Amino acid sequence: MLVLQLLASGLQTGALYALTAAGFALIFGATRLFHFAHGATYALAGYAFVLADHAGLPWPIGCLIALAVAVAFGLFTDIAIYRPIQRHSASFFTVFVAAFGVVIFIQSALEITFGRSFIAVSSALTHASQILPGLYLAQVFWVAIAVTVLVFGALGWFLSRSNSGIALRALAENTELLRAYGLSARRFSALAFALGSALVVPGAVLGAATTGLSPVVASHVMLVSLAASVVGGIGSLRGAAFGGFLLGIAENLVVAVLDTQWSEAAGFVVLFAFILLRPSGLFGTAVAR
Amino acid sequence: MSAYLLNLAELGTIFALLSLSLNVLIGYGGIFSVAHAVFFGVGAYAGAQIALHLAPDVLLAALGGGLAAGVLSFALALPALRVRGEYFVVASLGLQMVATTVFTEAQGITGGYGGLVGIPPPSLFGLDISSPRLFLSVCIAILLAVMAGVHALMRGSFGRSLMAVRDSESAAEAFGKIVPILKTLAVVLGCIIAGAAGGLFALQMSFVNVESFTLDQSVLIMAMVIIGGVGTLLGPLLGTALLLLLPAALSFLPGIPPTELGAVQQGIYGLAMTLLMIFRPGGIAGRAEGRR
Repeated sequence: MLVLQLLASGLQTGALYALTAAGFALIFGATRLFHFAHGATYALAGYAFVLADHAGLPWPIGCLIALAVAVAFGLFTDIAIYRPIQRHSASFFTVFVAAFGVVIFIQSALEITFGRSFIAVSSALTHASQILPGLYLAQVFWVAIAVTVLVFGALGWFLSRSNSGIALRALAENTELLRAYGLSARRFSALAFALGSALVVPGAVLGAATTGLSPVVASHVMLVSLAASVVGGIGSLRGAAFGGFLLGIAENLVVAVLDTQWSEAAGFVVLFAFILLRPSGLFGTAVAR
Repeated sequence: MSAYLLNLAELGTIFALLSLSLNVLIGYGGIFSVAHAVFFGVGAYAGAQIALHLAPDVLLAALGGGLAAGVLSFALALPALRVRGEYFVVASLGLQMVATTVFTEAQGITGGYGGLVGIPPPSLFGLDISSPRLFLSVCIAILLAVMAGVHALMRGSFGRSLMAVRDSESAAEAFGKIVPILKTLAVVLGCIIAGAAGGLFALQMSFVNVESFTLDQSVLIMAMVIIGGVGTLLGPLLGTALLLLLPAALSFLPGIPPTELGAVQQGIYGLAMTLLMIFRPGGIAGRAEGRR
């Protein structure tokens, strides 16, 4: 039963990772930018939700505030940081260092403002009840799964049916051709940033309600979404979602055999193995060296 | 006060060695490792064990640390040969995270969170050099020797081939350079120097634990190289001096509670990294209009 219980919590963690990683993959796919500051977006959205909750606002308003913060921050990094850099250098490293600097800065700003300890939102959804003998599930489990399925459904519909979604996929495949059709690549990359950043909100809100938030979450989420997208194949949404689930489950299942200290390391062993053996990931195309 | 300054100078020399070694990877090899603290740590644990069980000899600790880190550096060279750019950064991040856990859990060798304590005062060929002045002079001598060695190597055939690989792998290959060997050598060389710095660090602190070898430390070393200027000889030294003096300077500023110092310091260098990349990607010592 322990395995089943761990599998369930793995699914719950994995669902949130999958959404966050999908946001990262969406941004990378459309703009070819390795958006390391994605973890900072997650942390900011989560803290915004907690603040709104502590101020006594109802949770839908809190979610909207978190959404606004996430989208605003995503657009800010695109406009104020990545674009000025890309004007003079296309080097991956320059972008990476700048984004990494943003993560460090946001993390320490949060640490100074809110302290280093965990803060959380208390919610009736997290009270676990026994479903099967030895298997405890809280309602938040179903919420996480339902939200993930809904969001992925909506995202899939948007990318395959709506004009803007099709343009986003076109941007990923051929920027020049998109321009030739008279569409603005810049506007659609801003759309990718807004949409990708919005995808962190469910994870951030549910994360605040379950495990709680601490400033370190910024770099942890950055690592997880990176790892998930590499495992799944960089730029592939489906791959990122799958990678997120895989990492969440691996992190939790490893507890059945090893101490909990190893749970984070387990995810990265999986990641390291993938990079060595199959750098293109599960759903990716071959990587140019 | 002078003891404090001497201590700061010793640490500065060790970190200069460290950022110099990372510069071999990042600046000359184009290999963007975020796992450098791992090799610093391996060297420090090796140096500490040598000092505890064999002799607290400075050169022995530095050589042992360098050797241990050099052997382990193949764990970094392997992904460096397979993938480039963002993939390699991610691989090195993974290595760093796994290594931090291993450092914490392998208590027989590393002492876990408690660390290794009671490392005896340093000596050199049986002579006692535990006085800070003597130890500092030895560290500076090692730093100067390594600097001269790296400088000579990078000006010679090896360095030029390596920089050719950094700028264009396929062009270097077309000129008959054996890319895998060049990259592996760069990784091994950088990690050996980092390990040697670790050995010195163990003797300087007379105590090592996992907290000095986390992702934060790797990022700090990376920030030193980048803020100073990648691919230059003096840039890393400048970056080291700036980032090591920052906490000292901050502690003189009124209005910052001592408990927040670490966070304020991190915030400042995070911001500095971002702003430099926007306005001067070559770093302080780099060319103004230089790419990398």
